[in-house]
Amino acid sequence: MSATTVTPGKKLGSIQEYEVGPGTYMRNNYIYSSTVGDIYIIKDVNKKLPCISVVKDKEQSAIPEVDSIVTGKIIRVNPKMATLAIMVVGNKPCKDDFQGIIRVQDVRSTEKDKVQIYRSFRPGDIVRARVISLGDRHSYYLTTAENELGVIFAQSISGETMIPISWQQMICPKTKVMEYRKCAKPN
Amino acid sequence: MDKRRINGPEISVKPIEKKSTQPKNNKDDGIRKNNRSVDNIRPIFIKPNVIKKANGSAYYEAENIKIICGVYGPRSSKRSMVSDEGTIYCEFKFAPFSCNKRCGYIRNAQEREYSLIIQQAFLPAIRLNLYPKSSIDIYVTVLENDGTTACLAAAITCISIALTDAGIQMYDLVAAASATCIKGNICLDPDASEENDTNSKFMLSYMPSLKQVTHVLCTGKMEAEQSIEAIGICIDACNSIKTVMDHCLINSH
Repeated sequence: MSATTVTPGKKLGSIQEYEVGPGTYMRNNYIYSSTVGDIYIIKDVNKKLPCISVVKDKEQSAIPEVDSIVTGKIIRVNPKMATLAIMVVGNKPCKDDFQGIIRVQDVRSTEKDKVQIYRSFRPGDIVRARVISLGDRHSYYLTTAENELGVIFAQSISGETMIPISWQQMICPKTKVMEYRKCAKPN
Repeated sequence: MDKRRINGPEISVKPIEKKSTQPKNNKDDGIRKNNRSVDNIRPIFIKPNVIKKANGSAYYEAENIKIICGVYGPRSSKRSMVSDEGTIYCEFKFAPFSCNKRCGYIRNAQEREYSLIIQQAFLPAIRLNLYPKSSIDIYVTVLENDGTTACLAAAITCISIALTDAGIQMYDLVAAASATCIKGNICLDPDASEENDTNSKFMLSYMPSLKQVTHVLCTGKMEAEQSIEAIGICIDACNSIKTVMDHCLINSH
């Protein structure tokens, strides 16, 4: 491990010496830096070559990619889909919200034909979902068809935080009213 | 009192008038009016991270040229274009007070053209494949103008620093240099008075580490041999600008 600061376009070594890591790129058998930061060389026992990466102190805001887990807030629902404002990608917060949609067939993996959007999500719910495709020009397509995915935080009509009691139901601790949600498995 | 307008303070002071600098000519070559040789560029000062709300920003100063630039993104693209790659959007603006003649708030044709040139100059340098469906928005304001072509070149250099400050992955930094032709000689980094005397403008943006030219702008009267010579001279200038940029980035890191 070393702490030499490099700028974009700096030649770091050849591909025979290192593996391409984050913040670097390969061009004509050489590895170059693509951001400003310190060089880190990490040795991996499973791989032949050590991985070289350039890390910047100031994190740039995250953007969703296919297969990444995102967290966001439901902003509107209709019978065909729920619209989500993506606020966090993985563990990194986004500076600007991205829009994603959960279509009715992507809510859960079983009994897809019986899914009703308004019995799965309500506006204001915080949902964890997985990106399935970059989607159309407006939004990413998301899915919650996994045990760990779904509503992780929801409030009842009286404004209390609800507690999940089954895969499909949440209860309000104050009024004991049950509401339907596609609950995520708590971890 | 007119409530529809922003009213100035009641107490006002006379603005400091700009003293007209007498053209000095101590150099023996006698080609340039100012105290510079033909291959001399104005000393550059760059400071990154000056706008808190932007993802990345930079301030550039070279004698009377003052430019501020903010980079926002990668953020979700508002434009209705489907693309697997990211897009660059640029807004270049001369502040109303920046030029000798006051310019309006609305971007004019020249500013639009410069915005496009900046977009083109950065397209080969940014790793847009890493930013699908996102846009990188660049906003440049010229606070003081001393040579329009030199301002454009300075803006490109300034944006490079701001993009790096925003953590946007780039193949290389982009440096830019401007030139003009005075009495058959290629003069680097022309200021406003030199620009008025001649009608040839030359600007080149260059990636110094990869040794690749990203944009060339050549307008006005210029012989073919002169423009070829100008390319070489500008590339040398870009290499020296690159050392300033590296120095600035490493110090601020």
